[in-house]
Amino acid sequence: MYLLRHRVSRRRFLRGILGGTAVTVGLPIFGAHLNFNGTALADGSSFPSRFGLFFWGNGVVPQRWIPEGTGTDWIPSDQLEPIAHLRDHFSVVSGLEVKVPNIIPHNSGAGGLLTGMPVVARGGEAYTFAGPSIDQFIAAEIGGDTRFRSIEFGAEPGGGRSYNGPDNRNPPESSPLALFDRLFGEGFREPGDTSEPDPRLALRRSVLDAVVEQANDFRRELGSEDQLRLDQHLQGVRDLEVRVARLQEDPPELAACMSPDQPLDAYPPIEGRPQIREKNRAMCDVIALAMACDQTRVFSNWIVEPVSNNLIGEAEAGHHQLTHDEPGDQPQVNEIVRTLVGEFGYLLETLRSVPEGDGTLLDHCAVLGTSDVSYGRNHSLDEFPIIVAGTANGRLRTGLHVRSEIRDTTNKVMLSLIRSMGILAADFGADDGFTEDGMTEIEV
Amino acid sequence: MTSRDRLRRAGVVAAATALSVLAACAEPDDAPGTADAGADASDDTSADATSDAVADAAVPEAPDWDPAAFTPPPPPVPRLNRAQLVNSLHDILGDDVVVPPFVEPDVEEAFFATVGAGLATVSPRGVENLEQISYAVAGQVADPARGDRLPCVPDAVDDAACLATLVDHYGLRLWRRPLAESDRDRFVTVGLDAAAVLDDPLAGVEFAVAGLLMSPDFIFRRELGVDDPETGWRAYTDWEMASRLSFTLWNTSPDEALIEAAAAGELTDPVTLEAHVDRMLEDERAHEGVREMFSQLYRLHELDHLNKDPTLFDHFDPSLGESAREETLRLIESLVFEERADFRDLLTTNRTFVDNRLAAVYGIPSPSRDGFAETFLPPDMGRRGLTGQVSFLALAAHPVSSSATLRGKFVRERLLCEAVPAPPANANTAIPEPSPDAPTLRDRVAVHLENEDCATCHLIMDPIGLGFENFDGIGRWRDTDNGAEIDTTGDLDGAEFVDAWDMADTIRQHPGTGPCVARMTYRYASGVREGRNQFAVVDTLSAFYEATGYDVYALLRAVVLSPAFRYAGPITD
Repeated sequence: MYLLRHRVSRRRFLRGILGGTAVTVGLPIFGAHLNFNGTALADGSSFPSRFGLFFWGNGVVPQRWIPEGTGTDWIPSDQLEPIAHLRDHFSVVSGLEVKVPNIIPHNSGAGGLLTGMPVVARGGEAYTFAGPSIDQFIAAEIGGDTRFRSIEFGAEPGGGRSYNGPDNRNPPESSPLALFDRLFGEGFREPGDTSEPDPRLALRRSVLDAVVEQANDFRRELGSEDQLRLDQHLQGVRDLEVRVARLQEDPPELAACMSPDQPLDAYPPIEGRPQIREKNRAMCDVIALAMACDQTRVFSNWIVEPVSNNLIGEAEAGHHQLTHDEPGDQPQVNEIVRTLVGEFGYLLETLRSVPEGDGTLLDHCAVLGTSDVSYGRNHSLDEFPIIVAGTANGRLRTGLHVRSEIRDTTNKVMLSLIRSMGILAADFGADDGFTEDGMTEIEV
Repeated sequence: MTSRDRLRRAGVVAAATALSVLAACAEPDDAPGTADAGADASDDTSADATSDAVADAAVPEAPDWDPAAFTPPPPPVPRLNRAQLVNSLHDILGDDVVVPPFVEPDVEEAFFATVGAGLATVSPRGVENLEQISYAVAGQVADPARGDRLPCVPDAVDDAACLATLVDHYGLRLWRRPLAESDRDRFVTVGLDAAAVLDDPLAGVEFAVAGLLMSPDFIFRRELGVDDPETGWRAYTDWEMASRLSFTLWNTSPDEALIEAAAAGELTDPVTLEAHVDRMLEDERAHEGVREMFSQLYRLHELDHLNKDPTLFDHFDPSLGESAREETLRLIESLVFEERADFRDLLTTNRTFVDNRLAAVYGIPSPSRDGFAETFLPPDMGRRGLTGQVSFLALAAHPVSSSATLRGKFVRERLLCEAVPAPPANANTAIPEPSPDAPTLRDRVAVHLENEDCATCHLIMDPIGLGFENFDGIGRWRDTDNGAEIDTTGDLDGAEFVDAWDMADTIRQHPGTGPCVARMTYRYASGVREGRNQFAVVDTLSAFYEATGYDVYALLRAVVLSPAFRYAGPITD
């Protein structure tokens, strides 16, 4: 059952669930509010707000994560040192807790953080998310205007945790070349290309129409749970139709838009060690230009999965195994976290390298850097690692270390991020994590 | 009229009784009862590894179904999994059709992608991907060079008659049932529009076929049953049975013979159904279904992504996992189809199939220059059966080391069907590094077993896993761990063993081993995690399986012929 208290989205979902007719679940509902030129922001910026998620599995070593000092006067910790040079472009929020029952290692945390709600537990370690993850929550509102509602990718092949709803997960792209082909291959047009749109595009849209209409009979025969499954599918079909329509329009005039270099065909492991860094960098290069070309406004980067057991850097054992077995203050885990945080830094640098107006692409983004647990060793959910980068068109404060001394809910940050996208959300989360307040310290 | 009488009228009891070639001669109206369930079967099927070919093998008597004891599970409406999508397109449209990868992940639930299929949907990314696949494939179907394979070739952009023929032909196969007139008209219109706009009759074929492929009727299996007042249940229709049998036994869409059988109403008639099931099981494609079932149950798909440190494991390279999967699957195929053996032999046989990569890990001469060959492991080498194979030993281990916990967990969950609780989310799971005082894994995990919180669960896993400590993280033999002697003794629920060789037989004799296979086979085939209402089905199948001398071929046959497979929950008001 959806428990979204977000006013806008609940209406969206209720239409899907209770409306009785599939056709009313259409998208984009809110695209009109935030179309490219109409983003009437207070500061007069004409660049849309974008949302990004950088997510790594297996957490951190908290005692080596929390910075010293708060406000603008803070000293980056050991694990934040790799991005210390970017400190003006992000805020660290520490002391928060994912307030959900911690019953499924790694995934209670990931689901609780990203949806604001406890996961749906299915016995043993089986689960699904109870609702959309924050990237999809936001994409549902701001993703409809672009060719791709959202883009998911990750250096490590895996499932990611980007959910549209229960049992409906967006598979991330793990091949840099495939990501490139999808965004800049067939269908992509450079700014200034005003050639007649391919007549096949209109035909593709009519096929999608026919598919949706034809599915009504099928839908009527199903019980309510299976109707929901079919509706999720049909939602995707309608999304796709909107996106095909985008291809019929002239590409937007965007100065920074160009095709990236084509990545390598493959990045095979070297001595059993996957090329996480190289793959991540190739994909970050592609996603930054995809946003410069307004192909999408929402992305999520699942660089390594929860429970990932890669051999990273010089580590003597798999990542996950080390988080549990390495004694003391875990120097090897520390090095792995530093590597992954460094890759977050690469992403931020890449976004910052794209000029947009008087600023950079990063200024028009909010990027959440986080994990599935706090301390990997015991799967803790307090003292959760959270970095918020970019100002989202001047709506978020950066350069701060904000510390909660009362183990506030992580949902406060989620709500701030949602609102930073111009979405009028009344509240976020459920049960112990329910909040109507954002993390005001990072809000402008 | 009792429910049993109603069922007998509907042929349910008859179907069950007529389960075997022999029993087919018995009177379908045999009095109900359970005492004779498979009673004289064991005589016919001793675990003789050299038994005759399948066709000559005596098939044991049927299990008898007590319809009052169970309710069939409601229809799961499965989504095609990745392999089924690709297999179906090849079988329906041609082996030479190139199918781009389907990225939507299979959902695993209760160990099986076939169960997860009942929860799976298609994400927006998956829909985009499906559209791409649809046009890529439909474009090949409409390629003028392949025109001779089409049932007709439209000769003008307004050739509605030929498009209707094509939509009917491909619709029937892709949707696994005849199309309603309105659906046919809809996709004919789509095709005519495309042909006109692009001024190309074959473009009409392309867009019509692409539309059929993008429909939820292709990617979801619309198997819902129809009310059957005789039983009080919903009965799967002939078309639905064709689909269920085909995906379960062959992991693909129905072939032409099944389509004909469905059209003739032969798949809801228990007697004709049986003949079709026998044909399907004797077909080579049945190997696909069995391979898929055990790949899911024993996690063999994960061997594609085996993550091992090659600087520690000299014999590891990324293709070792593929070889290991093939070894296990070949042995399973041989036991199930060629030998019709006691399937518990999987645990204890010293027969196996290796290529030179596996032979190197096992330290035996390679029996074949290239490819796989049957071989018999010497009895003194301490290795036999599934739990002596690289597949199990490498999967249930870490990238740099073995794991007593993961191996024990595999045995408990996948071989004995016991539930192992997840660790408390806040558990401190650190184990000490090797030291002079505690060199071996047994010494180091002793911590788990001394701490009461840990011991509750780890005592059901670690003592089993420690029995496999003579095998390192990829399954190579070792005599010592960090220089110290390895102690592999232990016990499994009171049955003592001295080492892995010995334990193989302990697992074989464990009372959970046989019923586990029966239960998992039912779960795989039904696509539903068995609930209280199906326990009686599982019990009956377990007893039947035991009585057949643990014959998986007969078990699978019994499952798909059973009312639990042919009916879909009670009639809903």
